[in-house]
Amino acid sequence: MTWRRAGLYAALVVTSVAMLVPFFWTLSTSLKRPEDVFAPGQWLIPKPLSLQGYRDVFTLLPFPRYFMNSVIVTVAIVALNVVFDTAAAYAFAKLRFPGRSVIFGLLLLTLMIPMQVNLIPLYRLMVWFHGFLPWFGIDTLAGIVAPSAVQVFGIFLMRQYFAAIPDSIIEAARLDGAGELTLLRRVVLPISLPGVATLTIFTALSAWNDFLWPLLVSSSDASRTLPVGLALLSRKNTVNWADTMAGAVVTAIPMILAFVLLQRRFIEGLAAGAVKDT
Amino acid sequence: MADATASEVRLPPQPRAARSGRLPRGRPDRLRRKEAAVGFLLVLPVLITTTLFFFGPMVFSLYWSFTNYNGLTAPQWVGLQNYADLLGDPLFLTACRNTLVFALVTMSIGPALGLGSALLLNRPLRGRALFRGAYFVPVTTSLIVVATIWKMLLNDQGLVNQILSVFSIPGHDWLTDPSTALFAVCAASIWQGFGFETVIFLAALQTVPRDLLEAAEVDGAGVLRRFWHISLPALRPTILFVSVVGVIGAFQVFDQVFVMTQGGPLESTTTVVYYLVNRFRALDLGHASATAYLLVVVLAVASAAQMRLGRSKP
Repeated sequence: MTWRRAGLYAALVVTSVAMLVPFFWTLSTSLKRPEDVFAPGQWLIPKPLSLQGYRDVFTLLPFPRYFMNSVIVTVAIVALNVVFDTAAAYAFAKLRFPGRSVIFGLLLLTLMIPMQVNLIPLYRLMVWFHGFLPWFGIDTLAGIVAPSAVQVFGIFLMRQYFAAIPDSIIEAARLDGAGELTLLRRVVLPISLPGVATLTIFTALSAWNDFLWPLLVSSSDASRTLPVGLALLSRKNTVNWADTMAGAVVTAIPMILAFVLLQRRFIEGLAAGAVKDT
Repeated sequence: MADATASEVRLPPQPRAARSGRLPRGRPDRLRRKEAAVGFLLVLPVLITTTLFFFGPMVFSLYWSFTNYNGLTAPQWVGLQNYADLLGDPLFLTACRNTLVFALVTMSIGPALGLGSALLLNRPLRGRALFRGAYFVPVTTSLIVVATIWKMLLNDQGLVNQILSVFSIPGHDWLTDPSTALFAVCAASIWQGFGFETVIFLAALQTVPRDLLEAAEVDGAGVLRRFWHISLPALRPTILFVSVVGVIGAFQVFDQVFVMTQGGPLESTTTVVYYLVNRFRALDLGHASATAYLLVVVLAVASAAQMRLGRSKP
């Protein structure tokens, strides 16, 4: 190994470790006794180890509720997007219907305008819905899910995959007598599974980490998700860092685990999602 | 196929124009109508949701931006008053300044770190995925978690000050000093985000023509010259993309501020969206809507200017 190569590895190791130090520190703080958090000599592995932070977060604070809410919201958003985004994408890629290009152009517009513009009317709309639908609108999980139920970005992503499928395959299936929905389910989707995986990862990550809309629409613990619950804890609790860090670990772990297991898909998914990542 | 109807099965096979063609000749009207109906049905969900949750709200907030709406009583038309108020409000102008500083700092350091780490990783290496993963993990982490972590690290007694004290540099209370709080928020954001740019640049570096790089090396061009004259020009579209997307994101900064500083100390970290949310919470929906529309206009102008700048150079 040449000196240059050794230098390169040294640079990579040092920067990678530096990137990960905040995570190690978070984990280690979450395992400290509250009184030891800033004590000297508690560098990486705390002595004594304590699960008090996790006990507090799961028994005194409503983190089990937040966690369930986050899971429900994320699963619902992913499922709805996989169904409705692929359906619409198939129509835009392979079917002819009047107004197709006009509608497509309008949808393109939604990707260019920041969501803050819609925030306030959307909130008022949810207040209105909640007036006659107790399970929908403000302070409900359905109210958090609804604006993300069909995402234009997902339609664009899937359309790219569908457009690459040769028309001859679709024509052949049609001649065999397949209806359009059968065709989508049995022929088009199986070929496009990598696209569905990318769509799933991208929507799951953004749903799990979404903050501003869930913050505004939830007004009680019944509908708060993990990021909202953690943000409120983090603002309120400047004393007991072990608890706050336990909450941070609980919020971050599911996506970090998913990333470690599916690293390549994740990176491809986010690179593909680059257009929307704003 | 199970769902096929009897009439479709009986249809005699017939030659048809390619489906990319505009008019499928010889395609029976009935089938064409059916295709249109199915197509329309499949895009109906997105039409409903975008109308209800996007286009409708957009129209309402535009209207409300010209009224004194407070969410309780009927809105009254005030013309351009809200916009004039905003431009005369010192807090709004501070928010604009802070947002601009945030965008400039994060968008000059973030992509540079991303490009630098991509260049480090862009060669045959053992454990390349591992290093790339280390840069990328924060991207998968919620901004709220990131902000919470950095709030602790930058605390008076936190890790950053502990490390500084090892080198006998006096510690500092980064988040409560108005002159450092905004930069602390920037630091956390850069740490969270640059792995994304690393990945984008790494993908783009694969497209730099290898034979050109080798030819230049044979001709005796050094690493820097090869980077400047060959790699960098090839990366131009990617740099443009990263900066447009990055600036749009930076102008909407909210989550980190909400957790780390709550807009303070002394409004030194109040950003435009933070200001908007505060106006919204104070039921001042007219000014909040006007703020949102000003943001849209500024972002549109900024994006257009960047595209122009990005395309005009040789």
